[in-house]
Amino acid sequence: MNFSIGNYFRSTFSATRNWEPLGWVFAGMNLIFLVFAVGLAIFLLVESIPIVRLEGFEFWWGEDWWVGETYGALPMIWGSFIVTGLAVILVLPIALSGALFTSEYLSPPFRRRVKGVMELLAGVPGIIYGLLGVSLLTTGIKDAFNLLDGNTLFTAGCLLAIMILPTVLTLSEDALHSVPSEFREAAEGLGLTKLQTAWRVVLPQSLSGIAGAMLLGIGRAMGETIAVMLVIGSLDRVSGFNLFVSGQTIPSKLGREAAEALGSGEHWSALMGLGLTLFLMVAVLTIFGNIFKHWSNR
Amino acid sequence: MVRYKRAWAGLVLGLMLGFPPETFADTGLRIQVVGSTTVLPVASRSAQRFMQSSKARILVNAGGSGVGIHSVAQGHADIGMASREISPNEKIRFEKSDLRTHSVGLDGVACMVSSEVYQAGVRQLTRREIAGIYMGKIRNWKEVGGPDREIVVIDKERHRGTRHVFMQYIFGNALQRTPGTLLVTGSNNEEQAKIAQSDSAIGMLSFAWMNEQVKAVSLQDQGKEFLPTWEAVQQGQYPIVRKLNFITAGEPKRDIKAFIDFVKGPDGQKIVKESGYIPIGGKD
Repeated sequence: MNFSIGNYFRSTFSATRNWEPLGWVFAGMNLIFLVFAVGLAIFLLVESIPIVRLEGFEFWWGEDWWVGETYGALPMIWGSFIVTGLAVILVLPIALSGALFTSEYLSPPFRRRVKGVMELLAGVPGIIYGLLGVSLLTTGIKDAFNLLDGNTLFTAGCLLAIMILPTVLTLSEDALHSVPSEFREAAEGLGLTKLQTAWRVVLPQSLSGIAGAMLLGIGRAMGETIAVMLVIGSLDRVSGFNLFVSGQTIPSKLGREAAEALGSGEHWSALMGLGLTLFLMVAVLTIFGNIFKHWSNR
Repeated sequence: MVRYKRAWAGLVLGLMLGFPPETFADTGLRIQVVGSTTVLPVASRSAQRFMQSSKARILVNAGGSGVGIHSVAQGHADIGMASREISPNEKIRFEKSDLRTHSVGLDGVACMVSSEVYQAGVRQLTRREIAGIYMGKIRNWKEVGGPDREIVVIDKERHRGTRHVFMQYIFGNALQRTPGTLLVTGSNNEEQAKIAQSDSAIGMLSFAWMNEQVKAVSLQDQGKEFLPTWEAVQQGQYPIVRKLNFITAGEPKRDIKAFIDFVKGPDGQKIVKESGYIPIGGKD
């Protein structure tokens, strides 16, 4: 993590000292990305200043969101946490065992086909999952749990779990598969069974890759808008740990109100504040993920 | 750099070929229509018909009345669709935009319930009962003569035109807060689907969205009963009626004017009727 603007330019210059045009092109492209990332953070920060001035910290603690009067983001923040957490809890065991099986047990040709299907599913856009969720999952969950209505936080969590499963699965599998075969051969030489090899040797070796896969999945789950919007019920309230009631996440709130708020003072600023909150949540998550990666690499 | 020249030339040429010339065409020929999902069927069908005899390209997008009014006031769209009038607040905020309203049809808003509730005997509700349900004081259908089932109270996004006129009638306040709400929906299609999926839902929708699974109840107010029918709207008896509006910033010109005149004209008014609304008598 020895990144700094100075380093960036120094390495750029050293790479391009011999005037390789392509090197400059690469550097330029990289700069574009950096400008976007930093620019986005600054934009969100600047745009959300008015609402923080107006509401102070009440913006994050307030439970009441009524356009034109008060803006309290807690219901959306809480909903995002609950829904993403649920998706992770549901996905982790399935993704891990699925990845282990695909990587360690399947024959190479069969593995390639399974991988193809996973990668295909990982590219399906959110709206498709959303429509499936509306037509099947909401009614299914309503009947299965005998609920008043099927548009709940639980439904959204399940839908997100289904959505991010292929991504997490295929990336975790990549991580497992990239463990050098010498490890497996050595383990076999010591007389370990296949399961013991997979569990005690291969899995610990690929923990950081699996953490990376989970991070990408969580990032997608946290940011998913349309699929969640269609099944969550879109009611702003802090529901405690009751999963079987309607709620709201940050992206679903943004999706519902962004068009109305476009360029309209405090409402727009409040939505930008929500965007900033989500940005920070993902950033904190990424930092923790990286710390975990470093820790597990040692 | 010389050997890259060809590549650059190729890239630029490729980009130019990649975009058909219409992409850069005069913006005057493209009309953006945005807003109410209630007005949308009228606008999109009219646009299709209108484009058969005109060079103008019309793009119709949903978003809700609030979005329609905001978009046109801020110049993101040429015509805003709204299923309500411009609110006093919006009039003050967008004073500079000089918004003009062009009515193209009439519509009634009904209190809709799931067909299961309707079959079980809930055919009419009083204003007070509906208010009680939305305020969370009445929570079970049996309290208003229905089956012993909890009520799934469906509200609409705050800026939706349908919500404005409905809440105005029920509470006398278009922006009434409704603590009894269980679900919040956006477009009419979304709300229709949620009412249909549930077996104990209540909601608000235009007459045009009634179907086998989504039934309109009649309204009772001070001893009088108002049936949710087109005849009642036409005779001026039904209480929740609103105009379907096109909104422009300033007086419309050229193609925009031609399109609005088309919708107001005989062909357009036929489409209004086909879409499930009531035509308006020539002038607004």
